[in-house]
Amino acid sequence: MILRLVVLSLMFAAVHATADDERAHVNYMLHCQGCHLPQAEGFAGRVPPMKDFVGFFLHSAEGRDFLIRVPGVAHSALDDFEITELMNWLLQSFSAAQLPATFTPFTVDEVAGLRRDPESAPEAARNEILSKIAADLPTLAVALAHEE
Amino acid sequence: MNWLDKWLDRSVEKTTRGLAQRTSRRGFLGKFAGAVIGGAATVPLLPVARSQEAATPAPLEEGDANSCDYWRYCAIDGFLCGCCGGSMNSCPPGTEMSPITWIGTCENPVDGQNYIISYNDCCGKASCGNCLCQRNEGDRPVYNPRVANDLNWCLGTTSAAYHCSTAIVIGAALDD
Repeated sequence: MILRLVVLSLMFAAVHATADDERAHVNYMLHCQGCHLPQAEGFAGRVPPMKDFVGFFLHSAEGRDFLIRVPGVAHSALDDFEITELMNWLLQSFSAAQLPATFTPFTVDEVAGLRRDPESAPEAARNEILSKIAADLPTLAVALAHEE
Repeated sequence: MNWLDKWLDRSVEKTTRGLAQRTSRRGFLGKFAGAVIGGAATVPLLPVARSQEAATPAPLEEGDANSCDYWRYCAIDGFLCGCCGGSMNSCPPGTEMSPITWIGTCENPVDGQNYIISYNDCCGKASCGNCLCQRNEGDRPVYNPRVANDLNWCLGTTSAAYHCSTAIVIGAALDD
């Protein structure tokens, strides 16, 4: 009986620790969409676009870290689990084609560590990270040239 | 009839056992899901546009949409566009809706459900001055800018002059 209860409670915990696309989307609407807009298209000159773009960051370790260290994410009111769920959903929903073949989803531990070290100069860091990636990734170089 | 039952039993058992040995449940599920998803991707199930807008729920509503106590205005701070020549969903003529906006949730008393409300400001003209509504439920200080409504949210428009605020339902919130 006790074993059954343990198994049941473990199953219950597992359900709650499972990523949920609908919850990720609602959290996106409540915490990101006001500025990044419904399709993550951003706003030229004010809000960086994520649609068909944000996946490029995953082509370097610094870029991967940056997506969690960027102030909007690091300082978010969402908890570590919710951010992990949202970021993995966001990458697949808005920019799957730009992800490297070797992409692995963010983990909660990874997010927890990175967001406690926010990037203090996000614009400069973004430019540096992207220009490094673009040196080996022509599709990003084209996208950046288009952005300017 | 008895021989028929026995024959039916035996042949069904033989077929299912054979099927169970040759195939896997996972394989069947994979193929079945592939057929459903693949089919949906190539042939639309319904002849409708399935944009995000189409999926936005349309809640049943009661009350005066130009009154500050209307349910959608729970977190608003500004002039109601419905009193300024527009509506709670649209800007008055001569103004431009800011795409960048602040977003909150309000409970609809008709169905008890929480909805996600986008308070897009209408910009490009001086303050409307009609139906000032400051409910501010869920409003936070400006050092928490994503949920501060004292800021001018005319951020994505050609003019930063604030005129009035809309209150657009963009989705259903989840119950915690």
